[in-house]
Amino acid sequence: MSESSLLDLPSGLVAFFMDLHEPRIPAVAVASGPCVYVYKNLRPYFKFTLPGLRVNTLEQDVWRQVREGQIDPLTLKEMLESVRKTADVPLSVRSLRFLSLDPDDMDDFVQLHKQQPIRRQTVITCIGTLKKSTADEDGVSCLVIGTESCDVFVLDPEAFIILSTMSLPAPPTMMDVTGQFDVEFRITVACRNGNIYILRRESEKPKYCIELSSHPVGLVRVGKNVVVGCADESLQGFTQKGKKLWTVLLPAPITTMASMELPTRGLQAVLVGLANCEVQLYRDKSLLSSIKTPEVVSSICFGRYGREDGTLIMTTKDGGLIVNILKRTASFEDRAAAAGPPLAQSVRLNVPKKTKLYVDQTLRERESGAAMHRAFQMDLSRLRLAAAGAYVKALESSLTPMSCRLSEPLKMNAVVQGLGPAFKLTLNVQNTAACRPVANLAVSFLYDESLYRMRTPYMRIPLLVPGVVYPVETFVECSSDKGISDIIKVFVLQEGSSAPLLSAHINMPVSEGLTIN
Amino acid sequence: MGLFDKLAAWLGLKKEVNVLCLGLDNSGKTTIINQLKPANAQAQDIVPTIGFSIEKFKTSSLSFTVFDMSGQGRYRNLWEHYYKEGQAIIFVIDSVDKLRMVVAKEELDTLLNHPDIKHRRIPILFFANKMDVRDALSSVKVSQLLCLANIKDKPWHICATDALKGEGLQEGVDWLQDQIKTMRT
Repeated sequence: MSESSLLDLPSGLVAFFMDLHEPRIPAVAVASGPCVYVYKNLRPYFKFTLPGLRVNTLEQDVWRQVREGQIDPLTLKEMLESVRKTADVPLSVRSLRFLSLDPDDMDDFVQLHKQQPIRRQTVITCIGTLKKSTADEDGVSCLVIGTESCDVFVLDPEAFIILSTMSLPAPPTMMDVTGQFDVEFRITVACRNGNIYILRRESEKPKYCIELSSHPVGLVRVGKNVVVGCADESLQGFTQKGKKLWTVLLPAPITTMASMELPTRGLQAVLVGLANCEVQLYRDKSLLSSIKTPEVVSSICFGRYGREDGTLIMTTKDGGLIVNILKRTASFEDRAAAAGPPLAQSVRLNVPKKTKLYVDQTLRERESGAAMHRAFQMDLSRLRLAAAGAYVKALESSLTPMSCRLSEPLKMNAVVQGLGPAFKLTLNVQNTAACRPVANLAVSFLYDESLYRMRTPYMRIPLLVPGVVYPVETFVECSSDKGISDIIKVFVLQEGSSAPLLSAHINMPVSEGLTIN
Repeated sequence: MGLFDKLAAWLGLKKEVNVLCLGLDNSGKTTIINQLKPANAQAQDIVPTIGFSIEKFKTSSLSFTVFDMSGQGRYRNLWEHYYKEGQAIIFVIDSVDKLRMVVAKEELDTLLNHPDIKHRRIPILFFANKMDVRDALSSVKVSQLLCLANIKDKPWHICATDALKGEGLQEGVDWLQDQIKTMRT
């Protein structure tokens, strides 16, 4: 056991091979404040400090005047305030600290610091590693550092000089690095403005940008795709060019994410720690497995530990450590196969080839679409007019079983019963007026007398009380034995008027009785 | 002992038994088998076994053919193919590797529940190996962690061993020999 204390809070930790010396022992790099501390064999080995940023010249001038005793702290405060408001280069930490002091403490602060030159430092927000020239597991790696000043630096592993600088539109918070520095690499960076930028070799600016609907809380690369956990409890997959592939909604907010790769079994999946004390394993958008943990998990790491290839190590929020070893017999089958699109969707339909007629027709439709639409609309209007005209004519000549006259609103339907040759004909007549009775009505039948005989071809209808259905019955006898049928027309008439109130055509059924005899 | 066995013993022909030597990688299976071989046949360097190797050695009354299986994760699925032939099992445990005791238990449970083993009264000899290392678990602790008390239908025995020096091995092999002999008669 060995313990080294840091001056500042650590912001990132990576293990990497910095040289080719045997035995191959990886070094540990800890990012803290503006420095990267490199440890080897459990001992401090090297400290790299980020280069200082440009200092505001006005600010420098003011502090020089203080040093020379030309201005007192209160004037200094005023001048710094004005510099802070106008300048495009921000003030240094020292000036900002000075501005926040009480007037009593100002003197001491100035006395203590005025001799030192002003420096402006940025801090490291995230750290990663990038293989230098070989893809081997134990190849020499460069450190990749993201800073608060929106820069990404790639450091040489041996000399610790900055090999490459790239700038981002916002401070980075998480990053994933893949590829080799000398060949081709890709740095995927999640930034504080809620976007993800993809940097590539030989481009100082981001190549692609993914704009998320919600802030990213986890970033994992699976093969060539990027899986992002968002603050809106969703997991989203993107291609390396920033095209969205899928979204999964999660049952709880994400606390941490890690990738799970088992090359021996061809498994590439993402582990997601959730705030409901659960760790879920996703392959693309399908949930493979989930583990219940006694506490909320704060960080996850999957990989080789000792002699076991598949070891899952988790730390919990309360400071616990959980080690899980993957069973040799574990199988990763999709638990919910129904979650995706139904299988039938991917079955190709046997669509016949387009015929020449079809192609000609579509061409014609495309060329003269407007004219065709006009012609159709015109015909449709004509059809409507013809239908309306026929309807009006039918109403006027009372050819319908509904009377439209206001004085005698009537409705009638007819029922034929029997197999023949004798039929029973029932007419149900109803007065549909609200309260007025109708009187002096009669029913008359018109039929082919060579086919049918009717007992009462003319009947009087009693007074019709509104709303009540009156059945009017009569008997029809078919006198033909040829198995033919005809129409019987029914007219409801009012006394004193020659035009019928309403009329109905009854399609008589074929008489079966005579054919049997 | 039957008349034939007596005769065979007198003639120097010994009964052959097939023994499977199982356990996780780096537990010391090959080292144990190496120690049991006659001094002139012992290998100097022990390297991780690939697949499996067949070793032979003799005790006072039996001739052992040991299938020394590789313990590496990717070769463990080979084990079950030899369960049928095995007449006894030697299960070696690394008493120092506390973290992987669960893995050893998992493999032992898989072994005991295999259809070729489950219904046979096959003797199992456990070697709690690496007793020379400072914070090694005792054989009692190992048997607790592996829940050996739950094995009711098979004779078993656990020995604390140090395969580098060969301590404790003979006791275990003597037990195994007795078990095999009682099985036959």
